[in-house]
Amino acid sequence: MTQHTYKTARRRFKRANTVLMAIYVIAILGGTYYLKSLEIEPLWLQITIAFLVAAPLCLYLVSMLRYFQETDEYNRMLHLQAFAYGAVFTVSMVFIVGALQMFDVIESFEIFWLGVMFFLAYGISHKVIGGKDCA
Amino acid sequence: MKNVLRVLRAEQGWSQAKLADQLGVSRQSVNAIETGKYDPSLPLAFAIARLFSRSIEDVFSDEVALSQAAE
Repeated sequence: MTQHTYKTARRRFKRANTVLMAIYVIAILGGTYYLKSLEIEPLWLQITIAFLVAAPLCLYLVSMLRYFQETDEYNRMLHLQAFAYGAVFTVSMVFIVGALQMFDVIESFEIFWLGVMFFLAYGISHKVIGGKDCA
Repeated sequence: MKNVLRVLRAEQGWSQAKLADQLGVSRQSVNAIETGKYDPSLPLAFAIARLFSRSIEDVFSDEVALSQAAE
């Protein structure tokens, strides 16, 4: 067994987390501000900013999976359980909202918020499952 | 599964953090194993036994087998 496996994994995850969240905040705040400052918003610029906002979030999920692989077995178990609960909640919401739309109960729903709901459900589940052991 | 990890650690005068460092796991993992909240995998159980120069049966015992033997 490699020494300091858990510590190395945690350090790598924190580093990736900091960089990706910084890019996300800059992209969403800077992009919104810049687009509002323009009289006409070019489509190519809107697409670019949208990808700049989404990319760090997708890469954050990838870095989470890498952390799950690299961390110790107990933390892996806690995180994967929480991830599964988050996924169950989010996919259930997709079906519920989708069915409500299908039967014209609601008109539109910003799908971006489902991603936010996933992270929220994952975080809460992790806290509930792990209790004081959350790391 | 029962274990005597807390006793062995106390004999060495190690903290949970120090033991965790030596095993390459988190302090929370050591705590979870000691309190019986989590049963370690075989590789980790062997690593723990090796660290204390014990056999795996000296550190971990099967509760079901123990209760059956008592009956």
